[in-house]
Amino acid sequence: MKISKQARRDARELFRTCMVREALDEGRARQAVAAVAQIKPRGYIAILSHFQRLIRLEVARRTATIESATALPPQEQGQIQSDLTRQYGPGLAFIFTQNPALIGGVRIQVGGDVYNGTVQGRLAALQQGA
Amino acid sequence: MSTLLQEIEAQISGLKTGVTRQNVGTVREIGDGVAKIEGLSGAMLNEMLDFGDGIVGLALNLEETEVGAIILGEYTAVKEGQEVRTTGKLLQVPVGKALLGRVVNALGVPLDGKGPISTETFYPVEKIAPGIIKRKSVTQPVQTGIMAVDAMIPIGRGQRELIIGDRSTGKTTIGVDTIISQARLNRAAEAAKDASHRPLYCIYVAIGQKQSNVARVVAVLEEAGAMPYTIIVDACASDSATNQYLAPFSGCAMGEWFMDNAMDALIIYDDLSKHAVAYRQVSLVLKRPSGREAYPGDVFYLHSRLLERSARVSEKYGNGSLTGLPIIETQAGDVSAYIPTNVISITDGQIYLETDLFYQGIRPAISVGLSVSRVGSAAQNKAMKQVAGRVKLELAQFRELAAFAQFGSDLDAKTQAQLERGKRIVEVFKQPQYHPMPVEVQAAVLWTVQNSLMDDVPVDKIKDFQGKLTEYLTMRKTALMDKIRAEKAFSDALAGELKGAVTEFKQTYR
Repeated sequence: MKISKQARRDARELFRTCMVREALDEGRARQAVAAVAQIKPRGYIAILSHFQRLIRLEVARRTATIESATALPPQEQGQIQSDLTRQYGPGLAFIFTQNPALIGGVRIQVGGDVYNGTVQGRLAALQQGA
Repeated sequence: MSTLLQEIEAQISGLKTGVTRQNVGTVREIGDGVAKIEGLSGAMLNEMLDFGDGIVGLALNLEETEVGAIILGEYTAVKEGQEVRTTGKLLQVPVGKALLGRVVNALGVPLDGKGPISTETFYPVEKIAPGIIKRKSVTQPVQTGIMAVDAMIPIGRGQRELIIGDRSTGKTTIGVDTIISQARLNRAAEAAKDASHRPLYCIYVAIGQKQSNVARVVAVLEEAGAMPYTIIVDACASDSATNQYLAPFSGCAMGEWFMDNAMDALIIYDDLSKHAVAYRQVSLVLKRPSGREAYPGDVFYLHSRLLERSARVSEKYGNGSLTGLPIIETQAGDVSAYIPTNVISITDGQIYLETDLFYQGIRPAISVGLSVSRVGSAAQNKAMKQVAGRVKLELAQFRELAAFAQFGSDLDAKTQAQLERGKRIVEVFKQPQYHPMPVEVQAAVLWTVQNSLMDDVPVDKIKDFQGKLTEYLTMRKTALMDKIRAEKAFSDALAGELKGAVTEFKQTYR
């Protein structure tokens, strides 16, 4: 769908009103969507589409995905959480998943940053070097 | 066995390096060689991006939510949703003497089938031009071997001289002639073991040219033995707009290496009109705002930052130089179009080629009135300056008088003499392509014209007279020619000797 510059600008404005202390306020976001859907301003579908994209990117930016080959003990999970909070600030959402393909080690992704300490990653690096 | 153990140990120690941190994103959109990537919050401008499988991109647009990147090379294998990584490196090309004699693409990859290029030095494609502290005025000449240029529009090492004209007026030929001339001078100096000679290495960048044209240039250079001193960077018309946009910057990086290493280089951009068109295409696909003639707003900066990299650096910084000869193709002789005026204002002068002159048989078809060299005269050979000082004025006066004289036949003796002299100068400046002339021969021939020794030769015999005189001087009066080359000026004794030689020749000339 073609999103006009005006719709993009409106969505960005809407998105800014949903931010409280540099963090997304979910309640405000829901309220904003409901209000737009009710008032139906010109190009409202495009506005909501772009608004959704901005929310998706913001959620991804504030989500830490921690992958490991086996389940991490709670103490280690807590350690990782505190370390990441120290680096990226409070308000991060943490998702712990298991991926046996990693063989060993941990892979952490926060937004676009990837910290790869897995055996799979090292093997890939070795393969690339060879 | 011990080597094997050491190798394994090295591999293991490499593996022990801590956790790697990377910035990744995903391809949201791909088309026309341009990808829009989400994520990549840490990407830098002009940073190389790794698309995997050896595909590399260049980050050109850093936007609020995404990065716009151009793909270098084959882009059809890139898919939506594919992972992209930052590399932390700016785009680099191989540089060094190993590239001499080779034909490479915009990324420095060889295209001539002569095997890989063995060089360990790489230069970034985009680099800040030398500042005012590092620079020095132009003092050394570039001998193009084209008499009209060396006499009237002299070019100095480190200068930027634009070659401008309509299609097929001989723009590329001037560039190729200059390369051939440099190769001859370099070879002669090598043979004579002349330590004072500073060789001039040449780089020819073909942007949006037909493959057949590039192949012809390569063949001409090979035939003339100029390839060992030349690098050809080829981004032909069938290459992607991205490669055409990058090619002059890559060529410039290769030239800068010579400049930084206390050597002299000359770079020919053939041509910057097509470069501007390629950049316009890239910019429009990247959805950058367009301006006049749909060119992006920074098209002036595109060419100014490229041409500013041509410079002569001072002795403290190595005394190297990079001379730039950009070429611009005009439409129907319109020099006031957007791109031509931009490049004219950036360069230190221009050689303007006219279609009318070309079809009148005056080749090189240089328009004396519109051509100028702003800094080159400081670098001109003194002997040349002595004989060519008045030529430009005389030729300009001749053009004016010739236009006036065609309406009437009653002319006074002085005007007649001026017209006759002008006709002879025009004839003398005619030169076949790919036949550059040594500077001492140019000076001797011009001295002969200026001292009225050709006035009694019929105009239609001037070329024949000049050819035979040149042959006579180079074959029979080698010592005299060597003296002119060494002294670089006409002393009274030298002028007397030359007069004697020309008079002697005239007695035998039929």
